[in-house]
Amino acid sequence: MFRLEFILKKLGQVAVTLFAVATFNFLLFRVLPGDPIRLLARAGRLTPEAIERLRLLFGLDKPLPIQYLYYLNNLLRGELGISMTYRRPVADILSERIANTVLLLAAATVIVVIIGVGSGVISAIRRGTRLDRSLVITSLVFWSLPTFWTGLILIILLGVYLKAFPISGIFTPGVTFSNTLDRLLDVGKHLILPTITLAIVDMGQFMLITRSTLVDVMTEDYILTARAKGLSFRKILWWHGFPNALLPIITTTALYVSLVIGGAIQVETIFSWPGMGRLMYDAVLRRDYPILEASFLLFAATMILANFLSDLFYMIVDPRVREA
Amino acid sequence: MKSLQKPFAFFILFALILSACTSGAQTPAATEVQPAEPQQAATEEAAPPAKEAILRVGWSSEPDTMNPLTSYSTEALEVLALVYDNLLAYDLNFKPTLQLAEEYSYSEDGLTVTFKLRQGVKWQDGEPFTAEDVAFTYNLIKDNELGSYAQWLTKMTSAAAPDENTFVLTFDVPQAFNPGLTIPILPKHIWSSMSAEEIETFPNEAPIGTGPYKLIEWQVGSQITLGRNPDFWGKAPAADTVVYVLYGNEDVMAQALKAGDIDIITEVPPTIWDGLVDSENIKAVSLPSFSFHHIGFNVSKEANSPGNPLLKDKVVRQALNYAIDRNQLVQVALAGHGRPGDSILPVGLTDWYLPMPEDKRMDTNPEKAKEILEAAGYVDTDGDGTREDASGNPLEFRLIAIETTSVDVRAAQLFRDAAGAVGIKLDLQTLDENTLGELVYNVDNPDWDIFVWGWDSGIPDPNYMLGVPLCSQIGGNNDIFYCNEEYDTLYDEQASTLDFDARKAIVDQMQSMFYEDAAYIVMWYQDKLQAYRTDTWTGWTEIPGGLIYNMTRENYLKITPAK
Repeated sequence: MFRLEFILKKLGQVAVTLFAVATFNFLLFRVLPGDPIRLLARAGRLTPEAIERLRLLFGLDKPLPIQYLYYLNNLLRGELGISMTYRRPVADILSERIANTVLLLAAATVIVVIIGVGSGVISAIRRGTRLDRSLVITSLVFWSLPTFWTGLILIILLGVYLKAFPISGIFTPGVTFSNTLDRLLDVGKHLILPTITLAIVDMGQFMLITRSTLVDVMTEDYILTARAKGLSFRKILWWHGFPNALLPIITTTALYVSLVIGGAIQVETIFSWPGMGRLMYDAVLRRDYPILEASFLLFAATMILANFLSDLFYMIVDPRVREA
Repeated sequence: MKSLQKPFAFFILFALILSACTSGAQTPAATEVQPAEPQQAATEEAAPPAKEAILRVGWSSEPDTMNPLTSYSTEALEVLALVYDNLLAYDLNFKPTLQLAEEYSYSEDGLTVTFKLRQGVKWQDGEPFTAEDVAFTYNLIKDNELGSYAQWLTKMTSAAAPDENTFVLTFDVPQAFNPGLTIPILPKHIWSSMSAEEIETFPNEAPIGTGPYKLIEWQVGSQITLGRNPDFWGKAPAADTVVYVLYGNEDVMAQALKAGDIDIITEVPPTIWDGLVDSENIKAVSLPSFSFHHIGFNVSKEANSPGNPLLKDKVVRQALNYAIDRNQLVQVALAGHGRPGDSILPVGLTDWYLPMPEDKRMDTNPEKAKEILEAAGYVDTDGDGTREDASGNPLEFRLIAIETTSVDVRAAQLFRDAAGAVGIKLDLQTLDENTLGELVYNVDNPDWDIFVWGWDSGIPDPNYMLGVPLCSQIGGNNDIFYCNEEYDTLYDEQASTLDFDARKAIVDQMQSMFYEDAAYIVMWYQDKLQAYRTDTWTGWTEIPGGLIYNMTRENYLKITPAK
């Protein structure tokens, strides 16, 4: 099924792309104006000798091509370096943050897809009714809400007035948890508002796409044929209608997951969620090269890996790719 | 159909990656702190009726690192001031008070300071504290020029521990500012094994000090928890726990204060502060600060400086001083939460700040600006609204400001208009702080004319701010390339004058001299805007610089739970 030659060729492409991305990341941040050490010096009134030692420590005293070789060498050995701001290994810092971002995104994606697609199906089968119209209007309104504003309103309504959910952070401040379950429950409570915010602003697109595709599919000739065969409506919907409407939904989901990494930065900010967004924002302002290089490389590597795996997946599902 | 299959594959893969990441992610988050949990749960069970007294502080940025020798953030200073002790510190009146020193005295010539140290003090890991630790810390900083503390030890000649409870500090000239007031004492048994390079990358995740609180946990990106040190040498503070909570958004932080999630916030912008003033159970305070925002002129004397040479003429800089309306800046940019500026020493330095006398003030007087420009031969000869010098060079300058500091951008716009009204053209451009910093501090090629930025005095002593525009700080902190030998001489003189009145006279002279030279326009001294809940903790003392997030930790130690 898998052709070795094909896989090797793909792997070669992956390596070349990763190298290109790593190089681009290195250059991108270093050609930006600004200097990671200079503002430290203003804040701390460092002596020229102390500044010199910092430059030496982070290899900034070397010419750019040499810095680049050091950077590549470290990368090959799996070393991401030490953050210039936090003075801790970048790998440690990133792993804490990524875990939090992924937790939030996973929760939001599941809810957005279930609610969005579910209401889209309901709307489609009740096409033309008052329920359909109100669902469509609600979706349109939700879709046009700004994320930041929605988050603030939810905080004020559900957090401050009703005191139903915690409004920020990932844990309740000052609480010591007696066991892991309590700790997880606390995280769960803190997840609610950011997830609702993401769900509200993002479910509209899923609802509308599901509805319109399903409406199209349900007017196809083969649905008429199925009906003529005497199948029940439920069977027609779930066996013949929905599976054919699924493909655009999946397209949207794939797009959503890749876009939400950017969109989640807003939600992370407003709910003080300790994820990648804030870390990268601060790193850009401080020109913390090791953090910037590592996090952008990580994003790129995830995409490249996904692409590679999807190419392999193609070989399984599509004979034309396999033969090519 | 084909075009849809790729996204489908993508989706499946992403779902797999996501689920793999989350299942992997939750476990470390949950187990991370477990080692500390069993004991704490046990102590809680042992005394169930006593509710833990927690002080919850909200802030909008977090420390860089817990290593006092590599940290440059105010947030780190705030936390570390509770974990580590100095020899001396500032009390609520910004007068020296004792921490690890029990008494101290100066020698006749003022060159030697002898500290008698507290006995029986223990490090938070149980090791005894001795004079060896103090001598080690001072020598470590001095020998390796570590961190921002090294600036206070440039004149130190020796730091010695003749016996277990005595520490002797010697300088080659007397020091008006006692470095004991600011340098945290580190445990020799932990730090002595590291080289300077190792210290530069030492995160100090479990700091051991002698202070009233111990770091329990730092959940990076979310909160820092401090617990009371049971072995603290002083009076035990009332709060069992101090928690610092990080907020990504200041509006949300204000809502959290209203909701009772936090007890005090370190700093809020004027618009949000105004919204807290009338809230129930909340007191919003507006206090003078140790900070100012200023306009700086490139006055580099280097012949090849790319800055506009017309700014080397004091008359032009003074005219710009006269043209600007500082009260308008405070009203418009700060919504009234500040005071118009003049001296390089901020108003929070109450003992030292010198308000400029009425007849010397250069402020809100565009007529005077025009007058001195005319007298110096700057007239608009070609009728384009901008004045030129005798050889036809227009008074046209580049003005840069930091785009994310909205008060500065607003001020820069007002400044541009005010300058335009007296015939000086300014072209405003906004940059991010790092870019502006690199441009302004580029010693070899300072290709700029005028900037807007700000300063905080790191200590409640004039040494820090007065020390910025020194010739010797060109390439260091001097952001305008100002160089005046007389000013430098006076600086060294005041820094070594131990008598307050004599020192004050020199400091006053320096403030007047720098003001008159007009290389800075100190626009305003912004107020420190804070707010706290009145129903949780009480006994806060309002002092310049703020209740907390200030250069004294006394308020943390003095507050008591509200009834």
